[in-house]
Amino acid sequence: MLLDLDFDVSTTGLSPADVPADTYHRIAQFLYREACLLDERRYDDWQSLWTSDGMYWMPRVVGQQSPFDHISLFWEDRMLRDVRIRRLEHPRNWSQQPPTRSVRLVGGVQVEGVDAGGNLVVHSVFQMTEWRKRQPRQLAGRYTHKLAAEGDSWRIRMKRVDLVNCDDAHDVFEVFV
Amino acid sequence: MSYTEEQLAAMVRGDSVHRGVYTDPAIFDLEMQRIYGRAWVYVGHESQVPKTGDYHTTRVGDQDVLMVRAADGNVHVLYNRCPHKGAKLVADGEGCVGKFFRCPYHAWTFKLDGSHLGVPLKQGLEGTSYDPADPSFSMRRLARVDAYRGFVFASQSKEGPALVDFLGGVRSSIDNLCDRSPVGEVEVAGGIFRVMQRSNWKVFYENLHDTMHARVTHESSYAAARDEAKEMGEMPLELHIMDGNGEPYEFWEKLELRAYDNGHGYMEGIFNPGAAERDPVSRAHFDTLTTAYGEERAREILGMNRHNTVIYGSGSPHTVFQQFRVIRPIAVDRTLIEIQTFRCKGAPDGVFKRAMMYANVINSPSSNVMPDDIELYNRCQEGNATRGGEWVSMHRYHGSDRSDADGMVSVNGTSELPMRNQFRAWKTYMEAGATAAGAATGDSTCC
Ligand code: FES
Ligand SMILES: [Fe+2]
Repeated sequence: MLLDLDFDVSTTGLSPADVPADTYHRIAQFLYREACLLDERRYDDWQSLWTSDGMYWMPRVVGQQSPFDHISLFWEDRMLRDVRIRRLEHPRNWSQQPPTRSVRLVGGVQVEGVDAGGNLVVHSVFQMTEWRKRQPRQLAGRYTHKLAAEGDSWRIRMKRVDLVNCDDAHDVFEVFV
Repeated sequence: MSYTEEQLAAMVRGDSVHRGVYTDPAIFDLEMQRIYGRAWVYVGHESQVPKTGDYHTTRVGDQDVLMVRAADGNVHVLYNRCPHKGAKLVADGEGCVGKFFRCPYHAWTFKLDGSHLGVPLKQGLEGTSYDPADPSFSMRRLARVDAYRGFVFASQSKEGPALVDFLGGVRSSIDNLCDRSPVGEVEVAGGIFRVMQRSNWKVFYENLHDTMHARVTHESSYAAARDEAKEMGEMPLELHIMDGNGEPYEFWEKLELRAYDNGHGYMEGIFNPGAAERDPVSRAHFDTLTTAYGEERAREILGMNRHNTVIYGSGSPHTVFQQFRVIRPIAVDRTLIEIQTFRCKGAPDGVFKRAMMYANVINSPSSNVMPDDIELYNRCQEGNATRGGEWVSMHRYHGSDRSDADGMVSVNGTSELPMRNQFRAWKTYMEAGATAAGAATGDSTCC
């Protein structure tokens, strides 16, 4: 699975995208909805936003080029996202008692262009407050979505999360960011 | 409070320990002096400072230190402190200082072994007792530094056993990690995870060989992996390594636990990717090692299926998946884990990729396995802070441990021998430390 994956994570060398105001609005709505599904822990709905080969990636270091020859905070395909969701919902998930709560603010949505595979590359910034058991934790950074067109909407082919403090010493990450 | 030798000894019984060893900040301070101030502690791997002037900062106990490569190829370990006004010479992390250290405060300079090189406007020091040859004008080195197959250890004490003797039986785990390379060498590669745990450092060491917790603590994790595999109709390695924790008690009872002096030990493997002949990565690895060492030796190397090893005070190397979880105590209730992964030089790339995958799935801060461990360590920390009881039990199979030539072996894989063995070492350090402190000059332990 992860071992023999050949996945284009690059977000440079894009061709320009012509995005009318109405489409831009719908892209932003798509991202807000995604954030809301995660905050509400509606994980099955969230999974259904993805293409079957979509990859969820949170790099460990600033400007990380590859998830293959360097560790990542997250590098998950559909199977591993499924496993995480199953664990989060399991009654004996001791470290989710109480469960993590989160709320996130997404903004600064910018359409960057189209990658070699025809996916729309969209940047946004986020701030997320997470709480479980102790002090709230603040996470912030930049999202990069690769969106594959599907009908009059999109599916997520890649979501890259660049935390401002990706190279810090961290507490655990149990839920998706 | 301060502790007498008798009070410290009374905190450790053969079958139990007093909860204060996990919760009292005064005990933590003593440990920093008497254990981390004396034992050999893993600083880092030589490959982290490949070129002249390269440095890597880390901690030995409560001390900020740095490892640096000198022009003659030697690796030195120095306290990160300028002897002028005490500024840390280099920022935390890693980098290269070039041919010498230059303090960013008043530009005192030091050779790469820490010895004094010069100060600007030297005439201002003429007629004073400033003496470049006096060690108090140099960066201080740790008392002893030695390396075992590229793994650099330092001790803050001049006295004590040599590194190889200190490591004793767990040397074989480091050997096995290195021998998995056809040229017998490994290097730190692919980045380092750092995870902060809200618990005492000793809890993690104990948990490394605690086989009774696996199927209880990790139930949500292996159940999720199993359900997923069932739905897929196959179990890829990513899920297999999560599934292992769910083995029944009979499985754990059969495993062997080894305990050595100084708190070290290891436990046998719980999953064996090396034995999976159908796995193309293992097969390619085996072929490479056969070419280098011959078939019999290759079989021996990959057949050594060891799970966690404990190097007490340093952390836990894992040979099969090429990693070292370095354990750094920060406070009585806080412990930093640095997860290093290694590339076996000359081995097929798939072997490294597999190590990356293992680190990502099992040891990342986002692992689906570790959070439940960390939660339970934290609950031990919080529970032991209550007045709900004074003693922590280590009774399982107490009195039945078998001795052999270089240590002890459990009679049953669920034995609490490893914990008892770690506290045997703990007590030795702490008591001997009390005696030494009594004899030494004005150390901070009195009154
Ligand atoms: S503190 Fe380093 S030169 Fe002054
Ligand atoms: Fe565990």
